[in-house]
Amino acid sequence: MTSVVATNQTILVVGGGIAGMTAALEAAETGKQVVLVEKNPYLGGRTVQLYRYFPKMCHPTCGLEINLRRLKANPRIQVLTMAEVTGISGGKGNYSVNVKLAPRFVNENCTACGECNKVATTEVADAFNYNLGKVKAAYLPSSMAYPQRYVIDPSVIGTAEASAIKAACKYGAVDLDMKEETVTLNAGAIVWATGWQPYDAKNIQPYRYGEFPNVITNVEFERLADPHGPTGGKILRPSDGKEAKNVAFIQCAGSRDENHLRHCSRFCCMASLKQTRYVQEAFGDAGKSTIYYIDIRAIDRFEDFYQEVKANPNVSFVKSKVARISEDKNGDPRLWGVNTEGYVRYSEPHDLVVLAVGMEPSVKGVNIPAEVMSDSSGFLMADPVNAGIFGAGCATNALDVNRAVQSATAAALRAVQVVNKVARAEA
Amino acid sequence: MAEMKTAAYICKGCELGARLDTATLVKTATKDGKMNLVREHDFLCSTDGVAMIRNDIDNEGVTHIAICACSRRAKTEAFNFTTVAMSRGNLREGVIWIRPDTDAARETTQEMAEDYVRMACAEVKAMQVPAGNQNTGTSKTLLVVGGGMSGMTAALEASKTGYKVVLIEKTGSLGGMAGKLWKRIPNREPFKAPMDSGVADLAAQIDADANIKVYLNAVIAKTAGAPGRFKVDIAVESGPTVTEDIGAIIQATGFTPYDMNKLPNLGGGQANVVDQLGLEAMAKAANGGPIKRADGKEVKSVVFVQCAGQRDATKEHLEYCSGHCCATSVKQAMYFKDANPDVDTVVLYTDLRMPGNNEDFYRAAQNKGVIFSKGEVSNVSASGNGCTVKFKDLILNEETSADADLVVLATGMVPTTGPDLDQLNEANRAAEGGDEGAKEQVIQMMSKSVLNLDYRQGPDVPQFKHGFNDSHFICFPYETRRTAIYAAGPVRRPMDIAQATEDATGAAMKAIQAMENAGLGKAAHPRSGDLSFPTARLEGCTQCKRCTVECPFGAIDEDERRFPLFNESRCRRCGTCMGACPVRVISFENYSVNTVGAQIKAVDIPDEFSEKPRVLILACENDAYPALDMAGMNHNEYDPFVRVIPVRCLGSVNTIWITDALNSGYDGVMLMGCKHGEQYQCHFVKGSELGRYRMSKIYDTLKGMNLEEERLMDLEVAITDIDTLPKKINDYAARIVEMGMSPFKGL
Amino acid sequence: MSDMNQQMTAKYKNNFLKEIEEQAEMGDWVKMCMQCGVCSGSCPTNFHSGWDHPPQELFMLIRAGKRDEVLNSNSMWNCVSCYNCYVRCPRKIPITHIMHGIAEYAYRIGRAPKSQPTLHLSQTFWNNATKTGRVNEVKLTQTLYFKDGIASGIKKAMAMQDVALGLVKAKRLNPLEAVGISHKCKDIKGIHAMLDKARELEAKRKGRTA
Repeated sequence: MTSVVATNQTILVVGGGIAGMTAALEAAETGKQVVLVEKNPYLGGRTVQLYRYFPKMCHPTCGLEINLRRLKANPRIQVLTMAEVTGISGGKGNYSVNVKLAPRFVNENCTACGECNKVATTEVADAFNYNLGKVKAAYLPSSMAYPQRYVIDPSVIGTAEASAIKAACKYGAVDLDMKEETVTLNAGAIVWATGWQPYDAKNIQPYRYGEFPNVITNVEFERLADPHGPTGGKILRPSDGKEAKNVAFIQCAGSRDENHLRHCSRFCCMASLKQTRYVQEAFGDAGKSTIYYIDIRAIDRFEDFYQEVKANPNVSFVKSKVARISEDKNGDPRLWGVNTEGYVRYSEPHDLVVLAVGMEPSVKGVNIPAEVMSDSSGFLMADPVNAGIFGAGCATNALDVNRAVQSATAAALRAVQVVNKVARAEA
Repeated sequence: MAEMKTAAYICKGCELGARLDTATLVKTATKDGKMNLVREHDFLCSTDGVAMIRNDIDNEGVTHIAICACSRRAKTEAFNFTTVAMSRGNLREGVIWIRPDTDAARETTQEMAEDYVRMACAEVKAMQVPAGNQNTGTSKTLLVVGGGMSGMTAALEASKTGYKVVLIEKTGSLGGMAGKLWKRIPNREPFKAPMDSGVADLAAQIDADANIKVYLNAVIAKTAGAPGRFKVDIAVESGPTVTEDIGAIIQATGFTPYDMNKLPNLGGGQANVVDQLGLEAMAKAANGGPIKRADGKEVKSVVFVQCAGQRDATKEHLEYCSGHCCATSVKQAMYFKDANPDVDTVVLYTDLRMPGNNEDFYRAAQNKGVIFSKGEVSNVSASGNGCTVKFKDLILNEETSADADLVVLATGMVPTTGPDLDQLNEANRAAEGGDEGAKEQVIQMMSKSVLNLDYRQGPDVPQFKHGFNDSHFICFPYETRRTAIYAAGPVRRPMDIAQATEDATGAAMKAIQAMENAGLGKAAHPRSGDLSFPTARLEGCTQCKRCTVECPFGAIDEDERRFPLFNESRCRRCGTCMGACPVRVISFENYSVNTVGAQIKAVDIPDEFSEKPRVLILACENDAYPALDMAGMNHNEYDPFVRVIPVRCLGSVNTIWITDALNSGYDGVMLMGCKHGEQYQCHFVKGSELGRYRMSKIYDTLKGMNLEEERLMDLEVAITDIDTLPKKINDYAARIVEMGMSPFKGL
Repeated sequence: MSDMNQQMTAKYKNNFLKEIEEQAEMGDWVKMCMQCGVCSGSCPTNFHSGWDHPPQELFMLIRAGKRDEVLNSNSMWNCVSCYNCYVRCPRKIPITHIMHGIAEYAYRIGRAPKSQPTLHLSQTFWNNATKTGRVNEVKLTQTLYFKDGIASGIKKAMAMQDVALGLVKAKRLNPLEAVGISHKCKDIKGIHAMLDKARELEAKRKGRTA
């Protein structure tokens, strides 16, 4: 059984992405006890699935390394991975929280030596790479994965392969009898940092995502550009593996759209501007990018980045919400629409289309107590007076990484306020 | 302190036992490493292995341990011995995983492992467990500079957390820019109408809060000391200067609107043209009724010109976007529409920037009849009893114009950050050289100082781009280069009220954390919790000032005898001072010229006929070392002749390490550090840049030693260079072979 | 210029947007457009028939007060009512309805071009349908085919005869309708009363007398 030490002065952080990790670290580094719950087998959330950050073009794993070092050095944080909150009762200053733990089938004896991986034969979808590739059923999600511990996919449990995997481990780290369990823990305050999910592009029918292989999403494109992604960092289109030198980016794929997401997702303009740099990086002057947009929202100092991309002759901007996509015989997706600046109709083939899909808060379907409200898009809004549960990061708004961290730091303070009050009352 | 007792542990797990001759490693640790106790274990990180080490510490009096197993990044929960000095010999990711399992490779792989064992032993013997700094301040009062929305929020949030606050405001009342607004942009559902700014309520809360002491009409005359023990002199208008004991500081000094008089083309300075703040005043005066111009005429038509003097690619005006102005114009257009739906309101924009649910606010404005046109304004001129706005309608693709009773220019935010330290330093240098103009300039610049820090490195927080105090780091938005001094609100980055409120709350979190940790002698980010701190043997110091000048965080002052004066709680433990010191008198308990130097010396250098060169790699522990580690995890092989030593930052690399290495027969030295320059990735901001600058001076030394320049290689590495880094190492090793062995071997 | 046109010009002075909002069906949605252009791109006609302005541009012209350019435009007459634009509009603007609304308004104030085929079809259809409460398909077709003279009418009818015969066989077309023998609705008076009431309500809503 998993044991967790927690009291009504503990802060529970739900979600181990950049916002959750930040909230946990900031609170713990101020001397608070924290339990960090993450549903994936590893920490880092969506940011570690990005190749580079805008506007610095630096790598998310660089910051993750620092955060992981902070975490490893801090005895006040307990991390539960493959864990989901299933119920919250009680109130501000004294919550009781049920956490469901899925079995990893690998215990803390694991040294990440990789022997189990060598004997595994079944391949399963690689969730870390947005299912663009496959991994063996005994896998380490990524080189930066923390906990640095392998995972065994439940699909092989009960097979001879599982026994072989178990036999390959010399350290007794493979535990095929591991069962799902639920732990109940106490918390004084809760930070809800469950992040976001990319809007399901299949809903945008005219763009034929899921039907045309060369129509992909912005999050998938990050994996294509990443040297540790499914293509080894080569920008190859899915249909035929051809180099995608002529890439179209369709902005507001789902966002600012009352048929899909009402809100502007904020990050997607900058993400596409950044991704034009991947194309440039990969193919030099042979790489061409076209951004189809309504408004370029390169807010505040990001304007510099926009101006730089704009100055690149290999990047063009078309003010237009693309009406539909068709597919040419050679597999090229063809974009149809009208450039509203001066009214120019186009029917333009590209090698690859990247849909700049927006953010949907990952809070839907979760039973959060009534003290936490949500806005029309489903983002959390804490009751400023009564709440002991605080949203952080993209669970509260469509935010870029920088702003998500800012939001998480603020949420950490709100949680600290609650547990400090509990401490004062008990002193 | 108890007598030093050393122990080395050789792990045989993860194939180490199969790939390496661990019995020899035990001998190496005993003979060469001179460890008091050496043990092997089949599975060192197991409960049993850990218990064995724990037992040695508890019952055998072991004080220094060298764990020769996997990388220092792995199995940290198992090897968590905080009471003893510990080094990690990286035999797994650093040796067997980067070498092929072949008979041919066995000898060099074993040699590599033996060297890493020697190095781990040598390092740990030079280390001490950091005792923590006793010289720390204990003040836990937060100083907030600026009484606007951000400042008031920070003060109240800190008070709610249980901390005392001193709030100073240079004007006679709280409220700042937000106090000048008629209404604010909504931040909650339904995002449809302007809402009350809440400024009055915040000010009332502050008045009623016994934890918050407010100084109005006050500025900072001087800030001395360090986190946890700042002494801040507050100059209050018509009163004596007061000194407060402060633990941490939040600078929330806000912004001023860009001067519209600099925009004569857009009508700046002419009648019936106002900026957004000017319009707020008109709306306040109208108090919900029809908005009237200065001449008393009711405004029946108004044009908003977005990005006035902003997003200016010519760089004549502001280059950035101020973020809030689109939503502000939407809000202001609503002022008109809400008072009288028949007022013509036109917003001329190029990109309407209303992120998140501000999109609903945009919709609401359209629904109220505000007209939005994508257009570029070329000119605003007086005409009749109003203005004519000439613009290019970008949708209809034509030059056109609009007449309006009033034109509102959406000018940007100019941060109130104080003087730019680089410019100030330059002026100071010129002034010291006797330049009268420069002297005047220094006085002028100093008069703009906000914090008046009594720091060797200048009176304010270094600025980032465009004069803002923003952090360069995506992951760490609050980082500044002055420990425990945080910026919040539009002084940090252009932002609206909603974001400023979040920002101020986050800054309060960081400031509270900084005060708590200063009191415990713990470092702030990125080496959070580190108890080590730099000390200097002043008897050896030559007063060259390099440490005081180079410290990226302004942690070191000079005392009255001109010796460096370390303010430990300002220090981030990057070691740049240690790297800078030409006489090597600066060290940390667990990281010093000696801890690295001893490792360099511990490596066995085969003679020149062995055809086994040795290349020293000094790798930044934040990015390069993890990249090497992950190269190991991915079994990307690299040359067996390199020996890697992680360093805290390239800035901490002392040139003596390199000259010693080359003098003692190493054939080459590779430095691996983070990107520097404008897009720097160094977590200590200037560390890698300073380190590189320092290294560039070494080439003369190499010449003097009659060595090729290429014996020293400076490589910029990112954490993702998992595949490319081994290749670069191999290329360099091949180049060394081509060049031939160092002539210094065996001397 | 018709009287009605002059009246409206005088009433709304330069505020053409307001004129459209109040006078054209669903015209109050025009202001919600954010110029993304998805409507223009979604039109299946691809503007092959020579549209003057796509919808989003038409809306911009309305906002810019270009009354003549809008009312003289052929755009609203060319809409085929496929509703692609409406379905895709991120602002849920009922673009199809607005196009018809503007067309109807242009007609009402006498600005519709003479011999506009869409107008002719609409009028013919309307008269045909409201007379008896049901559409007399043969008569409707006759009226449309022979509007440009007998020769052209016969030519068109000949070209379509296979289709017509097929419809007759499938009992979708009753040739007797040609001589006025057709199915009628039960309460034609009631239908006319309904239409009168609708006209009255519409006039009230648009602030004018019927």
